[in-house]
Amino acid sequence: MTALAAMALWLHPVLLTALALRVAAGEADAPWLVLGALIAPLVALLAPSRRTLERGGPAAIATGAVLAVLLAADFLVAGEAAALLGGAPWQGVACAAVVALLVVAWPDTARAGAPALVLGVVALLLPLGAVAVGVGSAPWSAWTRAASRPALTFSEHGPWSREGERVALGTRLAFGDGQQVTAVTPGTFRVIEHDTPQPTVREWRLAAGETLTLRPGDELAVPSGARLRFQAGRRIPGAPASGPDWADAPARGPGMLPAALGVLVTLLGAALAVVPSAPRGARAAVAGPLALLVALTGAVGWGVYTAAMAPELALGGSSLAPLLRLPILGHATRGRLLALLALLALGFILLAVAAAARARLATVVAPAPGFWAATVAVAAALAMGLSDPWWLLMTGLGLAAAALAPMRLASSRVAALAGSVVGATGFVALSLLPVLAPGAPAWLGVLARYPALLAMPMALLVAWLLGTAQKRRPPARGEARADRVEEAAPVV
Amino acid sequence: MSGARHRAIVALLVLLAIAPLLALAPFAPGAVRLAGVSLLWWYTGLIAPLAATLIVVTLLWRRVG
Repeated sequence: MTALAAMALWLHPVLLTALALRVAAGEADAPWLVLGALIAPLVALLAPSRRTLERGGPAAIATGAVLAVLLAADFLVAGEAAALLGGAPWQGVACAAVVALLVVAWPDTARAGAPALVLGVVALLLPLGAVAVGVGSAPWSAWTRAASRPALTFSEHGPWSREGERVALGTRLAFGDGQQVTAVTPGTFRVIEHDTPQPTVREWRLAAGETLTLRPGDELAVPSGARLRFQAGRRIPGAPASGPDWADAPARGPGMLPAALGVLVTLLGAALAVVPSAPRGARAAVAGPLALLVALTGAVGWGVYTAAMAPELALGGSSLAPLLRLPILGHATRGRLLALLALLALGFILLAVAAAARARLATVVAPAPGFWAATVAVAAALAMGLSDPWWLLMTGLGLAAAALAPMRLASSRVAALAGSVVGATGFVALSLLPVLAPGAPAWLGVLARYPALLAMPMALLVAWLLGTAQKRRPPARGEARADRVEEAAPVV
Repeated sequence: MSGARHRAIVALLVLLAIAPLLALAPFAPGAVRLAGVSLLWWYTGLIAPLAATLIVVTLLWRRVG
């Protein structure tokens, strides 16, 4: 596998689109998430791999599970694309699954991902470049523009306040100020009022053109497909109150340090599990870091231009809205073509991810196409049953960090196996913490959100202790020394 | 692990650790504006990504030589 194809296992469409959305929405953790997503795979490229590939057993099970969860997150993004284009989410999931299955037909899957990734990254930048040229401002000027808005409100000329827009995915909108929301199409809406200690839920059936009055603090549960019109000049529900709040999220403070540590440990561990060491002596190895830099800079660019031009696109939390709707707002005529190009870019990147994942599965499980088809089927089923691609991505990366990173770093087979089992068990137990111990202290919440924060160090400790114990034992005749460090492709 | 690779990994981890420190430290040093953009975003969006990529590309290129 080339360095570029290996990088495809990291650059999932869900990672790029989620980062763009988080930047656009002014999430407090967006800056270090972006940097973590870039530096973690670079560390993995330089870190040595101590273990040679081992087919079957726990490595195969863990690899299959991690790949299925990560693919499911990508499929969910495809489902969002279908919903944004007016279709049903299952249609997008089915299309993405077919794309993933297509890689079986490629003769050299391990190398096939590289050209698809390059095409995808270039195609992702072209519409962004067109948007930037259309606006006539550099990314830093767009950032300044977004950060200097006195309030993030619905524009008079925007589609949300003019003719109304379709909410592609069911969501719950929190209103910071009072405003009237008009149902453009008939539907049933639930309003959650928080003016008493026990929230009151009221259900409203609205005909087309009827209006709902919401007070500050109210929440509105919107079913998927509903078309709504908001009042121009009123605050965008769920968005930061103003540009300065977008730039410097009020939630950002020392209290966020455990969560920041959790997400960075998860990213670093997952990268060690997913991205192999750069091959020695290959000039093309530098293409991996460059592709990573360009792709992630592009994701940040999409987020910044969305925040500057149309912060209401983050409304509803669809991670694809910036890529599919921003070009249409910026260019009336060519906009649809540019949006299609952005979608095509994600398709190419998904193809690269699938090719790299299929190659990886073939090395640890078996090259038979049936195993790949089963993984894709499980991923599609997960995508149909779940709704949050970010949660799925973090779960997949966390499981990779806890269960697979020890396999790369352990010095012996037994240590790798024990570390992996401890990591996977710890990860599952911590993930289930809110269910197993509902009365647990609040500070344990960060471990439930980022189980790899504890599960991975535990796994590495067990692997190190066992590896050290084996080093002290004199090797039996014919047994290889356990402490020898050798360069090898990681199991995942 | 060779010394150069070891040093490069440490440098990458330091670059990564600076981001949350800039953002979460008391008095919010990351919120300081330079040419209209906050120091945090100059760092996480431009300086650190370029520095990290440069470190890795230089090291990989040297290994080819």
